[in-house]
Amino acid sequence: MKNQLSSKFKSHFAIQRLILKSLLFMAFLVTEICDTEAQQAKSEVDQDQLPKASEIGDRLFTLKVMPIFKEKCVGCHGGNQQDIKGEFSILSRQSVLRGGESGDPAIVIGHPDDSYMISAIKWEGSEMPPKENDRLTPLQISTIEQWVRIGAPWPSDARQKQIQEENASIIENEDGRLVATSGGQSDQWTNRRYQREDLWAFLPLRTQSELNPKGIPRNQMIDHLITEELNQQEFSSAPEATAAELIRRATYDLTGLPPTYEEVSQFQTQHAKNSKKAWSELIERLLSSPRYGEHWGRHWLDVTRYSDTAGMSNDYERSNLWRYRDYVIRSFNSDKPYNEFVREQLAGDELADLSLQAREDLTREELEVSQVKGQYNQQESEWIVATGFLRLGPWDNAMIANDEARQIYLDDLVNITGQTFLSQTLRCVKCHDHKFDPIPTRDYYRIYSAFGTTQMAERNVPFLESENRQRFHEEQTHVEKMLAYARTEKDKIINVQETAAKEWYQEHQLPYKTEDDRRNDPDEMKPPRHVGLNYVQQGQLKVREQDEWIWNRRLERYQPMAQSVYNADSTILAWNGARMLRINRKRQKGTTTTGNILIGGALTAVGEAVMPGVLSAVAVPSSNDPAAPYTISDSINGRRLALANWIVDENNPLTTRSIVNRVWKYHFGSGIAANPNNFGGKGAKPTHPQLLDYLANDFMEQGWSIKSLHRLIMMSSTYKQSTRHPDLDSLQESDPNNLYLARFSRRRLIAEELRDSILQSTGELVHEIGGLPIMPEINMEVALQPRMIQFSIAPAYQPSPTPEQRNRRSVYAYQVRGQADPFSELFNQPNPNESCESRETAAVTPQAFALLNSETMNDRAIAIAERILLESQKESGPEKSDLQNQIRRAFRYILKREPSPRERQRLSEYALKMIPYHQTHAAQPTVYPTKITRSLVEEFTGRPFEYEEILPVFEDYRADTKADQVSAESKALADVCLLLFNTNEFLYVE
Amino acid sequence: MLHPSRRQVLYGLGSTLGTVAFSSMVQAEENANPLAQKQPMHPAKAKNVIMLFMEGGPGQMDTFDPKPELTKRHKQESKLTGGLETGFKFFVGSPFSFRKVGDNGIEMCDQWQHLADPFVANELCNYRGCQAESLNHPEALFHMNTGSRLGGDPSLGAWANYGLGTVNQNLPGYVVMTELAMPQGGSTNWSNGFLPPGYQGTRLRPQGSPILDLSPPSHKDHLHQRAALDELAWLNQQHMQSIGEQDKKLMARMENYELAFRMQSEIPSVIDLASESESTIDMYGMNAPETQVFGRQCLMARRLVENGVRFVQIFSGGWDSHDYLERGHSARIKSVDKPLAGLLRDLKQRGLLDDTLVIWTGEFGRTPDNNKRGGVYSLGRGHNNQAMTMLLAGGGVRPGVVGATDEFGATAVEKVHPIRDLHVTLLHLLGLNDNKLTYFHGGRFKQLSQFGGEVIHELIS
Repeated sequence: MKNQLSSKFKSHFAIQRLILKSLLFMAFLVTEICDTEAQQAKSEVDQDQLPKASEIGDRLFTLKVMPIFKEKCVGCHGGNQQDIKGEFSILSRQSVLRGGESGDPAIVIGHPDDSYMISAIKWEGSEMPPKENDRLTPLQISTIEQWVRIGAPWPSDARQKQIQEENASIIENEDGRLVATSGGQSDQWTNRRYQREDLWAFLPLRTQSELNPKGIPRNQMIDHLITEELNQQEFSSAPEATAAELIRRATYDLTGLPPTYEEVSQFQTQHAKNSKKAWSELIERLLSSPRYGEHWGRHWLDVTRYSDTAGMSNDYERSNLWRYRDYVIRSFNSDKPYNEFVREQLAGDELADLSLQAREDLTREELEVSQVKGQYNQQESEWIVATGFLRLGPWDNAMIANDEARQIYLDDLVNITGQTFLSQTLRCVKCHDHKFDPIPTRDYYRIYSAFGTTQMAERNVPFLESENRQRFHEEQTHVEKMLAYARTEKDKIINVQETAAKEWYQEHQLPYKTEDDRRNDPDEMKPPRHVGLNYVQQGQLKVREQDEWIWNRRLERYQPMAQSVYNADSTILAWNGARMLRINRKRQKGTTTTGNILIGGALTAVGEAVMPGVLSAVAVPSSNDPAAPYTISDSINGRRLALANWIVDENNPLTTRSIVNRVWKYHFGSGIAANPNNFGGKGAKPTHPQLLDYLANDFMEQGWSIKSLHRLIMMSSTYKQSTRHPDLDSLQESDPNNLYLARFSRRRLIAEELRDSILQSTGELVHEIGGLPIMPEINMEVALQPRMIQFSIAPAYQPSPTPEQRNRRSVYAYQVRGQADPFSELFNQPNPNESCESRETAAVTPQAFALLNSETMNDRAIAIAERILLESQKESGPEKSDLQNQIRRAFRYILKREPSPRERQRLSEYALKMIPYHQTHAAQPTVYPTKITRSLVEEFTGRPFEYEEILPVFEDYRADTKADQVSAESKALADVCLLLFNTNEFLYVE
Repeated sequence: MLHPSRRQVLYGLGSTLGTVAFSSMVQAEENANPLAQKQPMHPAKAKNVIMLFMEGGPGQMDTFDPKPELTKRHKQESKLTGGLETGFKFFVGSPFSFRKVGDNGIEMCDQWQHLADPFVANELCNYRGCQAESLNHPEALFHMNTGSRLGGDPSLGAWANYGLGTVNQNLPGYVVMTELAMPQGGSTNWSNGFLPPGYQGTRLRPQGSPILDLSPPSHKDHLHQRAALDELAWLNQQHMQSIGEQDKKLMARMENYELAFRMQSEIPSVIDLASESESTIDMYGMNAPETQVFGRQCLMARRLVENGVRFVQIFSGGWDSHDYLERGHSARIKSVDKPLAGLLRDLKQRGLLDDTLVIWTGEFGRTPDNNKRGGVYSLGRGHNNQAMTMLLAGGGVRPGVVGATDEFGATAVEKVHPIRDLHVTLLHLLGLNDNKLTYFHGGRFKQLSQFGGEVIHELIS
């Protein structure tokens, strides 16, 4: 493996040989076809039949050189004479020989090394094309060198056309494969060739019998295929990990939490007795734990970009989007077949309406009434909740023209659908045919059109029995408090204004009119705007008006509402329409629902009409119409369901490869194909393509069951390998990223695992499934720091009032696009504006600050120290209040193991030293403010003004125990615990 | 003979093996210190950047680009189509008068007092040809800061550090200062995007701890911290031995604790202004309430640059004058006038201006007209993506006026360039070539300008 790079690219002579060989091969194919047409006899080609040199040259130019010129040069050195750069045109042999403004010819026939063009495309001296992205590959450079060397032949246009036509009749040659698609914007794109290895994801799955001709049992196939590859690389597998490592690995992988010390010891005992039985029982226990869905749901929410707010200018809350979050968690826990999971997220509302309509025998008009009323049963409600998927992208229409806002939404849907379910990046295809993959821009607009009747709405959808509706009352009371305050403060200012307005009318001897009534009066007939208000009051008024609106809207959190979509031909949005999105058919005018290609992605450049449809290169039809196999009916309803059905068609290889690859990635740290969102030619190729196909087939055979896939993976020896390897040095040199899985990859905890594990260690973690988002205590400076939204400052972040609510799992934490929890953000919680296929784990310095210095970490250390001291006092005999014993408990709770004698000794000494330190260094009490003064620079005044905001949650707040409330002994023990939370051992999974 | 870099070879091959090996190299490269100093690609005119971001969009015709035609037509109906306002629109004349200052033709409204001093005004370049794309704040902010309207791509400061690294390893290479309130779009404006996390802007907070959790709780002193770190290092070494591997990721974490410890003392000393003279404090306007905040940030910017920080950015909001233009812009100009003049003077006197590029800009400009608000003629301006104004100084910039807008200031008409060309020019001044400063992500080599741009040569001396 070490030598592959250099040998693969030893010299350009190798490439030249390759080109020549390929030309001969090409000629052979052409010859063969001619022969076949003539006689169908000869199958051998002897030397005499090889084409003449001139023919080789003509082909080289037409099929290799000219396409490079067209793709890379013509933009600046062709076309419009006035616009030619450097007075150099590449459109004819004469002009190439003549050269550009320098006066020298661009090429010297027969001598590439003396040719200016060659040095330019090599970026030696002049650099052409000038952009890194456009730069020629070594193969392309050698091709042009070869062309110059053989005399720069340039056949006539007619001859070129003939060669092209001959070539287009050959599906596969050494230049690659033609792929049939719905067609690009140019023939050159439509007829271009792809390397087979770049097309891997589009090719049908190989069957199990092709993949497993020897009939190896299912439970050995992973190890078989992994070992086969390892043997080729001449590596051996690592030994099995220890029992303690295995249970930690499995528990984190399936639940995102560490095992307890007791669970570890118990497993060690069982493992020693019967390792196989212990292991499979462990996996079953973990898979049936409700913690499983919370963890794997979190993975899915990374991909789909969950957040409780809409981002952009206003960062509006998407109240009740938690219902989608819980739907995802439920689906993983119940092992919902993945094909159903996909259909529900893309078209759950359509499923619900079909069901409702059939159940109640409704006309379309009656159905639309029921839609608004939300007369759905439990199953139908669940389906609609699932379409929260279609509401996850950042979106706002503030200061954006309606058609553009609509385009942003639909583009987002196309893009996220491609990435999530098909592992295809479709955003680039919005403007042009795909540069690398067989996806024409037409297909982008077909999918765009499949979403063309999808309208956003918060819909009336009954709550489910299974949905957690705890704390609705308390939280509603809180929101009402905030709302009442905003109203009172606003009214105070309005009073001042209207008192002044009355005076003005009196002075002008006019009858008083309210603000609304006088709005359209001429300026001289009404008091000036904001009459009687100073600039502070003007600024405050705007803040209060915004607050009133925000809190009023948040009252809807407690209504049976779901963030969803509905179908309609079109809709009209108010300038602030994103505030409230409802089913509203009255305001819709019947515009056209047909789609069009938008040339270059520009709304103004309307190109040819397209039907709704799917990706043609997959070659799985979405329609029975043989004339238009990859289209979908353009009726208003049912487009998304048809799209979803195509996605989960058993013959669609993208979908199953995509999901099994994701599952594999979360187990091993890296996917079989390393870019789970991009299976295109520029994504990483699968390291074990056969394994990927095997798993995809098996996945369908097991009823699209993700839990079955976990079992298959985790029961393999490959999964159980140690992170240690006997031949580590050479392994690291040859396979530094462990792509061949000669050992298990060590991984850092993700942000949620880290926070949840700390809470589990301190005993504070509270398990409760679903419901309203919780507000953990985040860094108070950030919580109270002003955050701009349109016209105002967003209300301050107020944590949940009790530890029981705050200390639930991180997946339930309120996620605000404009205000990330700084702790989670530091540990690489992804920005929810982009789909996250894989978490970053890079170590940056501020992580050290957060883990050592933050209030939350210091509080956790106090919490566990207090827990240990309390337990320690309850013990009897010499154990009672013994420091070494306390250290031992700290190790058990945090690292889930016994300390070594040396560790116990050393850390006891450290704690002993810290006791007198803390006796002489008092901690400061923490004060939680019940109101804050905030300041904003007002655009009306350009000056800062202040206003007060209440924080009622802190009036009756159950704070964590703080350092100033505990003994020096407790603080010293907390110092030890804090260190253990900071160790690599705690943060990494072996 | 071609000597391609490893990256180029692999990109070119595009084979299975190539891609596999390629991703491993990317990761291996990421393990090295991302902020280590790197050589520029061509001789650089600027080493550091201080970018003063006027959030909300200053009006070009109310700051540096006088439009007497608007004064003539004040409150007359406007039929211009730019901006988002619809319905009846009327022209708004600037409430300020203008004069030429210094020797290079720079024009300023009368609200600029300190900046008008020829000692600093002669350093200024006023560029009037830039055009934004978006009409709304966060998208336009993202565009000016990251080259992409969508947000999520690496910011200018991240690219600069990616290209050049930073001088002082005990300080972040990219520092951002905001007012108490975060600008719209928040930290996405100084994001590392797809570049490694080390290139993200570090926000020095205006109140409280300058960097979140920079210091331990008050009852833990420096010695306590040192003792704790020694114990932690011992525990981590024990662990490293037990796993039998010098894992680079784990070692990087261990090193981070030591770096954090050094930063804990270095950062407070950089931001502690006690060593600055009273006249310096006054020069930045720190003694007056309206200039205190921005003045302090400007002075901090100079100290950061002096101490080897590559890129400093200050956000100052409140420029979004849809109404009450005179009050609004007057107050905003006053709040930045003295500090900006002070910063330029200070940099110049210390010889730092030659290789420090200072940029003053908003995310877009403003319209020459407005519509009625609350039923009355509101004297303000809408958002304008066709014309804006900006100042550049130092760092190889040619003083003077470059480009022009039409008679209303509605559209740029001379030396017109999109934001990407400005970005390419800024990188160029730093010795970086946008077309070569690329990062392989999502299937292609990405660059700040997205798809390439031109250097605006008129801006360069």
